[in-house]
Amino acid sequence: MRRFLLLRSAELLAVLLLAAVPLAVRNPYALGLLTLLAIYGVLLIGLDVSVGYLGQINLGQVAFLGIGAYTAGLLVAKLGWGLLPSAMAASGAALAVGALLALPALRLEGPQFALATLSFSALTGTALNELEALTGGAQGLSLTRPPLLGHVLESRGFYWLCLGALALVWVTMRNLLNSHWGRAFEALRDSPLATDAMGVGTYRHKVAAFAMGSGLGGFAGALYAFNFQYLQPQIFNYELMAMLLLGVVLGGRKSQWGALLGACVVVLLPNLLSSRRLFLTLSALGLAAALAAGIRGLRRGTGAFQSAAPIAATGLLAVGGLLVKHTEDWRKAIFALMLFAVMVGLPEGLMGFCSRFLAGLFRVPPAALPRPAALDAALPARPPAQGALLVVSDLMRTFGGVKAVDGISFQVEHGSIHGLIGPNGSGKSTLVNVVSGLYPASSGRILLAGARVRPGLVPMARAGVARTFQNLQLFGELSALDNVMVALRDVFRLPLPLVVTGLGRGEERRAQADALALLAFVGLEDQARVPARDLPYGAQRFLELARALARRPALLLLDEPAAGLAHPDVLRLIGIIRAVRQRGITTLLIEHHMDVVGELCDRVTVMDGGRMLAEGAPEAVKRNPLVLEAYLGAPEVVS
Amino acid sequence: MDPQIIGQMLVSGALMGLLYALIAYGFQLTYATSRSLNFGQGELVMVSAFVALTFTNLGLPYGLMLPAALAFGALAGLGVERAAVRLALRQKSEGWIMLTIIVGLFLASAAENIWGRDDRPFPTPIPSDPVHLFGIDITPLELSVALGALGVMGLIELCKRRTLLGKAVAAVAADPDAAELVGISATRAVMLSYALSGMVAALAGVLVSPITTVGPTMGAVLVLKAFSVAVVAGLDSGFGVVLVGMFLGALESIASFYLGSGWREAPGLVLLILALAVRPHGVFGRAAIRKV
Repeated sequence: MRRFLLLRSAELLAVLLLAAVPLAVRNPYALGLLTLLAIYGVLLIGLDVSVGYLGQINLGQVAFLGIGAYTAGLLVAKLGWGLLPSAMAASGAALAVGALLALPALRLEGPQFALATLSFSALTGTALNELEALTGGAQGLSLTRPPLLGHVLESRGFYWLCLGALALVWVTMRNLLNSHWGRAFEALRDSPLATDAMGVGTYRHKVAAFAMGSGLGGFAGALYAFNFQYLQPQIFNYELMAMLLLGVVLGGRKSQWGALLGACVVVLLPNLLSSRRLFLTLSALGLAAALAAGIRGLRRGTGAFQSAAPIAATGLLAVGGLLVKHTEDWRKAIFALMLFAVMVGLPEGLMGFCSRFLAGLFRVPPAALPRPAALDAALPARPPAQGALLVVSDLMRTFGGVKAVDGISFQVEHGSIHGLIGPNGSGKSTLVNVVSGLYPASSGRILLAGARVRPGLVPMARAGVARTFQNLQLFGELSALDNVMVALRDVFRLPLPLVVTGLGRGEERRAQADALALLAFVGLEDQARVPARDLPYGAQRFLELARALARRPALLLLDEPAAGLAHPDVLRLIGIIRAVRQRGITTLLIEHHMDVVGELCDRVTVMDGGRMLAEGAPEAVKRNPLVLEAYLGAPEVVS
Repeated sequence: MDPQIIGQMLVSGALMGLLYALIAYGFQLTYATSRSLNFGQGELVMVSAFVALTFTNLGLPYGLMLPAALAFGALAGLGVERAAVRLALRQKSEGWIMLTIIVGLFLASAAENIWGRDDRPFPTPIPSDPVHLFGIDITPLELSVALGALGVMGLIELCKRRTLLGKAVAAVAADPDAAELVGISATRAVMLSYALSGMVAALAGVLVSPITTVGPTMGAVLVLKAFSVAVVAGLDSGFGVVLVGMFLGALESIASFYLGSGWREAPGLVLLILALAVRPHGVFGRAAIRKV
């Protein structure tokens, strides 16, 4: 609660301070800078959605700024639209174009995504330049700021409007990003595969996130057009894009305060360069900070490069500041050096550093968690049923000429624990990947509770299949609690418009309680806040299990859950899987440990070379000569 | 429409396209070993061209200037690897995207201030009077671009296939961890690929400058097209870039004729976005299977 109040009062204080400045300061230049700060704030909060949450380098935001600016500008100048409708149309246009670009671009990762957005920016620049009949081309486009609901806005009024817009965007995006939407964005950054396997739908969320960020870019563009009342295509160039990225990275990703701080830097930097003394002081301060951090880093064993490179960059900044004639001419190089120093030396940005520092200073405890829900609420017992839950018939999956699964048929009974064993390379994992929808089957049929399911991870997950992965696929940066919350089913029902107004808090508390109950079920309730990647290996395996259970599955696929576990953990695992069966959940268990299989399974299917070798009760299978031969080789005939 | 004019445009476009292919080849070299590429490669082309111009103005003959410029390119490539790529690769992050953009930004700013913002002519001993072939004019300059590009690409490919060093680099490209286990240093292989990539960029700069003049913005335009070529061909397909480069060069000279020179870049950009949408691994590339 204390943390909540502190954060809210800091936000309120910042808005009030910013709003009060023009009452005290009558300098039109300063007012212009503040207006620009608010506009860039909106723009960077939008950019942070893709850079921070999706974790993709987005070089397209400047194009959305341009699209928004020109949309609003043209509507005002040519059609005489009002301020609000043209701003809304600008956001809408950028949102639509963003979604359109996202459809193809977001299947891409990393460099390919960066390239696609870079090309899009260049293409937008070309179009704005060349569609002279519409945009006026290089001549530029002039407009007059339209009145707001009949009131003519002078510069102070317009500043307050922009500040209001920033506050609105701030609150909306905070609500959104703190909801299950924001969590899904982060989840798909860490593991798109697991996000799909948990039924969340990577693609849909990615497109939504990118389109929203683009829409904010368009909104900022409209404000930009009303502010300057003159637009030229070359404003929206590569250099501005680099500066925007600088803002986000320098300020700190995944933080709205960071975006605001970044906007300050972007707006103020050109002014800092005009005074050599100020510039030298700042670069000397930067050098001192880099030196202090570097020496400390070296002592703690951070890499030599990480300690030395920021010192070299800031040193070059200070020395260069003394040598060159006009610092403004070297603007780009100065951005580059600053950004370089921050990227290497302070990867979490200024805000990440500050918030850790402040949290330590004020000793703010993290927000309290609710009491865990009852297990019956978090993981309702499934009613017992008869017959086969999963029927696999004549299933084939080939890779090129390799028949990984070669026409296998078997059934998994409702409420049973069905083992699937076989030597390495016998096709077990491929089979699980086909059943869970990751690979489409080459031929054959899979029936779940008597019905065919559309192939694909998401449809399978929605139909009631949940799985774990042999090579862990956790959402590394998310806490254990959040990992489970991403997968929770039937809890988040509120539509998006209500989520952004902040009404999702109740739902969020219920989800936390459910997730805590599941963590307690696997024995991880004490590690709820630990980021998944910092958990010990065994705990990570159990976390994957809890996450899969959050789907409230009908069928649970466990892909070698005991691999690499120490003996006490194996025993704990056996206990958990038994408890899972008591909730009426059917389990298909792929395992190497024969003792685990023998202890747990009702029936065991043995695979070899993609085919079924044997099937039956564990004891019978263990004695089957065919199985022994597959595992140990043919008995040698002693002559 | 006169078929001869179209033929002329197709041929000179395709010859210029080989230059894009050359720069794109530089991306492939580093992508193979490290799954990374230099987003500031255009600036590397530009700075190398300026350095070559400085060497020429100092009185170095073409035969000495070229190796000197190539050596500079290789050094610059090594610098990019050290400053922007190695740390990110070790952290298994994609930080190299931002960092190479930053290095490019720095180079662009430095070039503007050292050599000025104006475009400058680049003297060359290669004549520019056209030769007539089947009614189509080809200048020796254009031919030098084509031959230089194909020659260097062929040479590097040959070394990759025939020498032990080349095989070691190919091993790193296939599986860095396994290569390390048999005693090949993955870091060295990545360094080598960046040095070669820088050298290729320098060659591109020297080859193109007599045709386009040298200026601080020359790289930005070239590199966008090279990106298109690399992505459309597939970042891991050796000679696909040659075909795609020639195709794109021809396409854009047709586009600039019909739509106006301002739209010159558009086909490449559209092609890139489309190619990524339809075949993210490129026309000649191989799709990877998601392993779990």
